[in-house]
Amino acid sequence: FGSAAPVAASGFGQASGGFGVMAPADSLFTPQSQLSEEELKEFGGKRFTLGQIPLKPPPVNMLVV
Amino acid sequence: RKKGLQTKAEQSTLKWYQELQDSANQCAQAFEGLNNTKDIQTKKLRMELQKAATIPVSQISSISGSKLREIFDKIDKLLSGRSVVSGGKSVSTSQHPNGLDFVSYKLAEKFVKQGEEEVASHHEAAFPIAVVASGVWELHPKVGDLILAHLHKKCPYAVPHYPPMKDGTSVEEYQKILGYRVEDGGVEAQDSFLKRMSGMIRLYAAIIQLRWPNGSKQGPAPHGLNNGWRWLAQMLNMEPLADVTATLLFDFLEVCGNALMTQYQVQFWKLILLIQEEYLPRIEAVTSQGQAGSVTRLKQFLESSLRSRQIPPPKGQLSSHFWRS
Amino acid sequence: EGDKTGEEDDKDDKAAQSLLNKLIRSNLVNTTNQVEVLQRDPNSPLYSVKSFEELRLKPQLLQGVYAMGFNRPSKIQENALPMMLAEPPQNLIAQSQSGTGKTAAFVLAMLSHVDPNNKFPQALCVSPTYELALQTGKVIEQMGKHYSEVKLVYAIRGNKLPRGTQLQEQVVIGTPGTMLDWCLKFKFIDPKKIKVFVLDEADVMIATQGHQDQSIRIQRMLPKQCQMLLFSATFEETVWNFAQRIVPDPNIIKLKREEETLDTIKQYYVLCNSKEEKFMALCNIYGAITIAQAMIFCHTRKTAGWLAGELSREGHQVALLSGEMQVEQRAAVIDRFRDGKEKVLVTTNVCARGIDVEQVSVVINFDLPVDRDGNPDNETYLHRIGRTGRFGKRGLAINMVDSRFSMNVLNKIQDHFDKKIEKLDTDDLDEIEKIAG
Ligand SMILES: Nc1ncnc2c1ncn2[C@@H]1O[C@H](COP(=O)(O)OP(=O)(O)O)[C@@H](O)[C@H]1O
Repeated sequence: FGSAAPVAASGFGQASGGFGVMAPADSLFTPQSQLSEEELKEFGGKRFTLGQIPLKPPPVNMLVV
Repeated sequence: RKKGLQTKAEQSTLKWYQELQDSANQCAQAFEGLNNTKDIQTKKLRMELQKAATIPVSQISSISGSKLREIFDKIDKLLSGRSVVSGGKSVSTSQHPNGLDFVSYKLAEKFVKQGEEEVASHHEAAFPIAVVASGVWELHPKVGDLILAHLHKKCPYAVPHYPPMKDGTSVEEYQKILGYRVEDGGVEAQDSFLKRMSGMIRLYAAIIQLRWPNGSKQGPAPHGLNNGWRWLAQMLNMEPLADVTATLLFDFLEVCGNALMTQYQVQFWKLILLIQEEYLPRIEAVTSQGQAGSVTRLKQFLESSLRSRQIPPPKGQLSSHFWRS
Repeated sequence: EGDKTGEEDDKDDKAAQSLLNKLIRSNLVNTTNQVEVLQRDPNSPLYSVKSFEELRLKPQLLQGVYAMGFNRPSKIQENALPMMLAEPPQNLIAQSQSGTGKTAAFVLAMLSHVDPNNKFPQALCVSPTYELALQTGKVIEQMGKHYSEVKLVYAIRGNKLPRGTQLQEQVVIGTPGTMLDWCLKFKFIDPKKIKVFVLDEADVMIATQGHQDQSIRIQRMLPKQCQMLLFSATFEETVWNFAQRIVPDPNIIKLKREEETLDTIKQYYVLCNSKEEKFMALCNIYGAITIAQAMIFCHTRKTAGWLAGELSREGHQVALLSGEMQVEQRAAVIDRFRDGKEKVLVTTNVCARGIDVEQVSVVINFDLPVDRDGNPDNETYLHRIGRTGRFGKRGLAINMVDSRFSMNVLNKIQDHFDKKIEKLDTDDLDEIEKIAG
């Protein structure tokens, strides 16, 4: 998964009876496996880098330090 | 990936935005026949359908939970193709092949307008409107996508998206794209523009954190808090706009900061800290005299949040007591 | 049928109007007129500010101002604030219509001038009624939210203190009678230590028996160097005479009342055959355009009651403002309406006279305004739907016509103002949608 890929392939099937337009982030937390190295670094660090905040929500196991 | 703040939203954000606009346009095209009909009978039907869709939304208020349920049921019934009575007349979407498209579109548009008009001047109105919208969204996802499309069109900052000025666009046209009202008298005053944008952002911030309480589904919320994360992250990755950014960040955080804090914990606090330490100075750098109000409100909010390590729940949130009323 | 107009006229005193207007308002009134300033010392430079930062307020107060959602000073505040905050303090008489920012201005001045380290009253504000004092008190509390060292106490009926009390609060707000008692009879307040004295709503004050006298007696007890500030929405001769007795050597600021105009209003009429048809037309309008809040005027209480009932049956949240209600009841109705609990306000003209409807986006004349002889009441028409300010909020007014008689009234109104009132077919969705623009 490259970081430029359209986000979150997860849950395509369940994706709404709507138009099927996928939001850039479509689940409450992002599985770690779907994050790029850079994104993981952002979530793992003490601070975010200005301009580099991942648009995908953080993984559920990285909410506390 | 580029370093530092960007001037436009990420590709994935823009793609999503475009797709929503496209499908809303397709939907509008689908009921064009119904819209432009010359046939008196069909015209009447269109009127009744529109009334059945929009009047309930205009009746949403914080008066009682039971009243809200009545309104919700009425909308749900209409979208499910059953007949509803409005103004003494019975009407259903099944009476026209494009009835459902039409009703969905009008309903979505109405939710957004209600945010623009009503929430703008009365912030707490966001919650009852949002909770009904969220409930409708859950059962009828297409309406949800249409709500987003309308919202993005009226308030590009809800994407967030800062449309660039293209060659050949007139200033007036561009102001409209940016969300300003432009009339013969000229462009609307900045304070009035900000007020409307605040209304729509507050409605959005309320929608992503609320769920219809009687929903039977166990799955994820139709447009949940992850969108709050996405919105905030995307905002903060972009160069701030004078007045607009500070105003909308404050609106957004005041409405769904508490929910985001509970959900994303340390990661959320990292966002708040980033705003306080690095992003706020960038906002201040583009702020001129007379625009200090919005920045001060944001600053005050951040300071008190960081000091108390808490973000209070928003004023006007519907309590469990409300749902028993 | 017909309302007992005469009887209700009496009830509609100035204080009630002023209160109801305060309650319904959530915004500044739009003004395009120039502020007129008369300085006591014409040679001293005239300051005006375009931002609150320029005033060098205490940070706690600046925060309070911004926390109220203000961004820039209002027209009258641009001139009045520098004058009120100047050192040494200057006296001021200011007149402008309600909703232009006077209260916010003098509250800021009071809070700026008191010393939080001194635990005794230093700023007094007198208001004409209990309810108005409470409203102003709310503004003081809001603006002082970040300045918790400064405390406020209400000198109003029902607030009984033990004998011998020495007030610790720096700011006192109240009605003239109680305030006078607290200064003179009970000595809760030492008038010699007062630095700022505000007299609000002077025009309402002099309309109330005894208030004028009591205010003057309070003022007499204050030290010479105390700053005197007086505010009024109107400025007749009587107000002016009173003002000069209260405020020596004043600076004077006047903001001409904005003329109400129909220029920014789209006016329509709908042809119907009965009140039931009018009601249906109303429903159609509701279906087609977004109405955040609407005000509907009926000629009689009976019609108003009937209409409110029909609208409720359709599921609308309706508030009914009717002539026999007490001021407190009316205030409660308006409070709920402004809170958005109810979205439609149905009323007769009699009890809504004097209420500024500028906040409301749509005004519907379910019945056209006529006087007791059945002639068109142009003044009322203008007051109901007129807006101020050229770039003010756009408005929409819809008139229901149900007979040759009322068509005639409409035509006369149209001729009087020389502004076309367009016909609207409420069975045609496209047409209604167009008017919302
Ligand atoms: N500078 C300002 N910017 C925005 N709103 C203001 C400002 N000053 C006052 N207001 C608001 O405008 C309304 C009318 O102001 P107020 O001070 O009560 O006017 P008045 O005393 O002249 O009737 C109030 O809702 C108030 O909060």
